[in-house]
Amino acid sequence: MIFTDYLFFPFVLLALLFYFILPLRARWIGLLVFSLVFFCTWGLDYCLVVLLITFIAWLAGIVIDSRNHTRTKRKNGEASETKSSLEAGESESRRKKQNRIILLVSAVVIILVLVYVRTQQNLIAAGFFEPVVRTVSGWNAAIRGWLGTIPYLGELVSGGKGWNTALFQWIFGFKNATDKTAVVQSVVYTWIVPVGISYYVLSLIGYLADIYWKKQCAERNYFKLLLFVLYFPKILEGPISKHRIVGPRLVEGHRFDYTRVCFGLQRVVWGFFKKLVIADHLSFLVNEVFGNYQAHVGSEFLLAAVLGTVQLYCDFSGCMDIALGVSECFGIQLEENFRQPFASCSVAEFWRRWHITLGVWFKDYVFMPLVISPRLMRISGFLRERIGKRAGKNFMTVIPLAVVWLLTGLWHGTGKNYLLWGIYWGALISLSTVFDPEIRKLTKWLKIDTDSEGFRFFRKSRTFCLFVIGRFITIPGSLAVSWYTAQSVFTDFTPLRLVDGSIFTLGIDWPRFIVTLLAAALVGFVGSKREKGVHIREWIAARPLLIRWAIYYAIIFAVLIFGAYGPGYDASSFVYMRY
Amino acid sequence: MKEKVLALLKDEFPEIDFESSCALVDDGILDSLSITGIIAVLSMEFGIIIPYEEIVEDNFNSVDALADMVERLRG
Repeated sequence: MIFTDYLFFPFVLLALLFYFILPLRARWIGLLVFSLVFFCTWGLDYCLVVLLITFIAWLAGIVIDSRNHTRTKRKNGEASETKSSLEAGESESRRKKQNRIILLVSAVVIILVLVYVRTQQNLIAAGFFEPVVRTVSGWNAAIRGWLGTIPYLGELVSGGKGWNTALFQWIFGFKNATDKTAVVQSVVYTWIVPVGISYYVLSLIGYLADIYWKKQCAERNYFKLLLFVLYFPKILEGPISKHRIVGPRLVEGHRFDYTRVCFGLQRVVWGFFKKLVIADHLSFLVNEVFGNYQAHVGSEFLLAAVLGTVQLYCDFSGCMDIALGVSECFGIQLEENFRQPFASCSVAEFWRRWHITLGVWFKDYVFMPLVISPRLMRISGFLRERIGKRAGKNFMTVIPLAVVWLLTGLWHGTGKNYLLWGIYWGALISLSTVFDPEIRKLTKWLKIDTDSEGFRFFRKSRTFCLFVIGRFITIPGSLAVSWYTAQSVFTDFTPLRLVDGSIFTLGIDWPRFIVTLLAAALVGFVGSKREKGVHIREWIAARPLLIRWAIYYAIIFAVLIFGAYGPGYDASSFVYMRY
Repeated sequence: MKEKVLALLKDEFPEIDFESSCALVDDGILDSLSITGIIAVLSMEFGIIIPYEEIVEDNFNSVDALADMVERLRG
């Protein structure tokens, strides 16, 4: 089950009903049961993997925490001891710290290996390693043709029974491999969804690191930690929560609050509006242009990249609105993942407003530990003495940034395009940080009023354009296609294609195209209001009854009438679910 | 100590007004990149190692908090 399933809404209503009829102290158990049911719809074996991963994290957390406290007791008692016993205490303390590091690293490695093994199994099933297999089994390709070598898809076309069918049936566990629905469901539920495992894995790694750094105590109750991991509103695409913030909120019983539930449901509907009315319609266009790139020209690629940016924002932030809205109904506040990212004046600011919890995770668990690492500090000190203060400071910033952005790129995907995407953002942020003094001098020399509305608009537009360029690297799926499409923008722009009606043949007809653009403009308007501190939900709630309900009905009917679902449509999975 | 820390920070980060707020991190005046620079400067200038446990908003929210942290870590 995902948020766009028809069953999701009844599921949430049932969960809310059970949650509020249970005694206050037992309400978290109801949440855990519903979260388990939600997760089990993706397969029992995944559930077992998650139970095991959580168990490892729970056990490791308790052991690391107990070592933390042993160390503290010794440290307190050291005051009255002699110098030699102090030295012995220091060495004991160092040994215990090493033990804690070993424990932390072992637990993280075991968790990652479990996830990796599970993911690889799915990738094999989904044909990711087909090129390798094809090379080895060249005879197979020669006999059955290129299409026939792709597992299960080839079978769908040719109806033959080969090794790939057998493998497919063995892994997915059903007999009729030619059943298209089963194939699609299998790919979605056994491949795409579990890869989204990384959201809770990151949360668990953060939980263990926080215990190691004594920022929190270990959770003693396994089932409470399990609820933190499986809590169904955040399992699909996050937010990547911190246990020390969200954990207590989950287990604390929340009373029914009519206003809060109404606000929560409104946010859910707004999330569906973004997803079904905007993102899913735009996905048709983006997929058509980049999927069938030989048939299109530069202007269409540029349009698709710009609309692909809007699509990604509406898809991901829409999912977050649904997740946070559902959670709000229960009275549980989750971390925000977006804060009007396109109002950012710089790329560094953009990444503090887009996928906020991922940025915070990398900052807390990769960037900062690197910054304070003694080795890096020593090199920085050396550069500071030999070359100058600025060199030392820049080194301390650029190296951790490079590591963070390489990892961020690899987290999004293991292809070369994602590696380049990580390098692209890392280079942009590093350069803007390193040359900040020169940029300031230049704007001063040019007598530019950096606080003026005009300059702020220029900076916001520049950030948007840089993001669109980043989309050119990732949307096409391979570097060769990225290069071809980006090149076409300069060599084969053909702007007439944008005005001769061709764009209405790119997956969506003109009425839907107009509606989608109007809806996107509405999202932009709401975002600009929020940026100015206007809370739309409160503003609507303060309107007269007639206006208030007219707005609610307009949004609900917009989702029902203009949403991309029903006959001829298949609500797309959320884009960020694959990460 | 406060004066020394303030002078050092003003010298290193002339673009940041450290006295404008008592919630430098919470108000968004300091971001992770500027915190990185502050850590580097304080570590080198005062010969201290700032452990990860100390990198919390409270310790970076004001010059007073930063000076307190430096004094605490210098022992």
